[in-house]
Amino acid sequence: MRTDSASKTPTVLLGLLILGGLGVAASWFSAGPERFWANWILWFLFYFTLALGALFLVALEHLVAARWSVPIRRLPERIATLLLPVVPVALIALGAVPVLYPGSRPAALQNPLLAGKAVWLGLPFFSLRTVLCLVLSLLALAVFVRGSLRQDASRDPGFNVRARKFAPAFMAIFAFVMTALAFDWISGLTPEWYSDIFGVYLFAGGFLAGLAATTLTLIHVQGQGRLRDVTGHHRYNLGGFLFGFTVFWSYIGFAQYMLMWYGNLPDEVLWYRDRLEHGWHGITLALAFVHFLVPFFALVTRDAKGDPRRLRWVAMLMLGAHALDLYWLVFPVLGKGVLFSWPELSFAVFFLAGGLLWIRKALTWGEDMPVGDAFLRQGLEFRL
Amino acid sequence: MRDFAVLGLFDSADALMAAIPKVKEKQLGRLETYTPYPIHGMDEALELRRSPLGGMVLGMGILGALTALGFQYWISAVDYPIVTGGKAPGSWEAFVPIMFEIMVAFATFTAGLGMLLLLNKLPFFGHPILTAKAMLGITRDRFALAIEADPELDTEAAKAALNAVGALDIEVLTRPEQGPFLSADFILRTTSGIFIACLVAGLAMYGAVKLMPVLSPVSHMLNQPRVNAQQASSFFADGRAMRMPVQGTVARGYLPFGVASPEAAAALVNPLPRTPEVLAMGRQAFTVRCAVCHGPAANGVGSLGSAYGAKPANLQAPQFLAYPDGKILWAIVNGKNAMPSQAADLTEEQRWAVVHYVRALQRAQNAKDEDIP
Repeated sequence: MRTDSASKTPTVLLGLLILGGLGVAASWFSAGPERFWANWILWFLFYFTLALGALFLVALEHLVAARWSVPIRRLPERIATLLLPVVPVALIALGAVPVLYPGSRPAALQNPLLAGKAVWLGLPFFSLRTVLCLVLSLLALAVFVRGSLRQDASRDPGFNVRARKFAPAFMAIFAFVMTALAFDWISGLTPEWYSDIFGVYLFAGGFLAGLAATTLTLIHVQGQGRLRDVTGHHRYNLGGFLFGFTVFWSYIGFAQYMLMWYGNLPDEVLWYRDRLEHGWHGITLALAFVHFLVPFFALVTRDAKGDPRRLRWVAMLMLGAHALDLYWLVFPVLGKGVLFSWPELSFAVFFLAGGLLWIRKALTWGEDMPVGDAFLRQGLEFRL
Repeated sequence: MRDFAVLGLFDSADALMAAIPKVKEKQLGRLETYTPYPIHGMDEALELRRSPLGGMVLGMGILGALTALGFQYWISAVDYPIVTGGKAPGSWEAFVPIMFEIMVAFATFTAGLGMLLLLNKLPFFGHPILTAKAMLGITRDRFALAIEADPELDTEAAKAALNAVGALDIEVLTRPEQGPFLSADFILRTTSGIFIACLVAGLAMYGAVKLMPVLSPVSHMLNQPRVNAQQASSFFADGRAMRMPVQGTVARGYLPFGVASPEAAAALVNPLPRTPEVLAMGRQAFTVRCAVCHGPAANGVGSLGSAYGAKPANLQAPQFLAYPDGKILWAIVNGKNAMPSQAADLTEEQRWAVVHYVRALQRAQNAKDEDIP
């Protein structure tokens, strides 16, 4: 089934991975540790939130006993396995804490605004929370994904019961992990600034990325002739989810902005001023376009939501928009204007090639559909 | 009474779906289904045209957002531009929540009313299906396929077709006699119904508004942690809640009079030109503020002077004819003898205009022969 070009793909990806890795290593010495760590955090958060978003889609199915998504469930399950390579990436990312996070430096004790938070923001407790996030996420991965893969052979209906019982607990875990990630790793860059809604904001972006990755993978494997029984009706639901969550992301993002703009308090608006000056204004506007306006109008019609060609570029756009969103969240703290040069490019090549290699490998794990799930037939019969 | 439709009943959605294509190919009339719940795939099976509602909702939603944007922009930036909360007039950020709400309102009303009135053609009383004996089953566990007149119906052929696809029960519906749509009775009942609804809603609202503010937690709005005028406050050292303006504060439009004495004022030069408009302004201000004491001709004979036994200055007297402009202005601003200051009631421009007008009155009362052309 594989063509020549398909068998060459892993070699090309491996080459890009090595090339990107060299660039990543060179950027440490040439561009300095601050910029290195900013890039590292961006991609760490990109993959962590994307994998969690995919796992959330899986958990949602178990939670609400959804049937339509059973035939495509194996795809978000496989994408969620990105949590495994995220573990070393996260542990390495802890190296950024003393460099980029003012709350963990000894000078924070002199700052009356940070002194009270010093224990919370300090490296030991910070690391503990991150490790807790990883452990909880891996636990959820084991319950949902390992259980589902085992069900292929065992056909054990008990898995569905276990997953359904675990799903509500997962929602609490998910809320904690997303919020902790957002508060620690993004808000923590500017510890004087805080926004209660920030965890929800990151959730919206992460779930959107998980959905986009699922949609993109579905259209990719359907192009290879796999998952033939998944119809436009299933794709329509994915498209509808994508469409809905572009609006949700914008709603949360704008609500956060508007309240701070209205209140006009110095400790709040400074964060936005950093993102509206020194060239960041253009990035903010671009974000509004690629994260909301373009996908909204691209998916607004009924036919567009199920059209593979439309969905393919919108899903790619949404993955790019999530990376741009994280770039917009992280990079202004460096205070050097809009930085985009070979270090950023090397990191993108390194992490994208690595991620694609992993997904490629993951797409061979288990059957393409959860054949052991008794609800698969109902899922295949799904019509709008 | 013409036949309207032939109804075939099935006991499952699957049986109904299986029957549709077989009946459809016989082309006996328009097909319609009546089911207890919506069935996936029914639109395709009946080959219904795509509903235009989505496009209508999108269009009206965008129109709603633009309407709200236009209204708010016009109010806050064009008609009555005012700085609120330190934001410039026409700050778009503040408009977004209202734009969102009006967009949703337009979209939902379009979806609801468009579906009911435009597409489903309501109000439509007495649909024949409502008279069917099968209706009880259709709302519960029966699935009906109807072959409807389009515009004529071959009843026997339709019955045979439904029999052939295994309908459990077959019923022929006749078109019921319909009364006039807008009968006097209907209009009376509708309008009185609306009136009663308004009355009840209005009374309920009145009661709620009158009663609710005293109930907790609505009454919390009344108990706010703030100080009112003339209240004591332990926060400030002087124990008063009201604060004095900062030393040297000047009210808008009332710059201090920069001259210290009448002698210094004598050197001031009237900055206004002597034009008909300025004299008209001076005449108006003089009539309102000065004439009541000094008299319309500025000769000290005003209506108030005799009533109170005061002696207002006769501005036609020789010493006032030689009086410098600046000293008249000084008197207007600071008052003179029993005359109070007029500074609070006359703008700087009006004061100088009054000076011009007094000069004109003096000239008019002391005209010479050469003045006659």
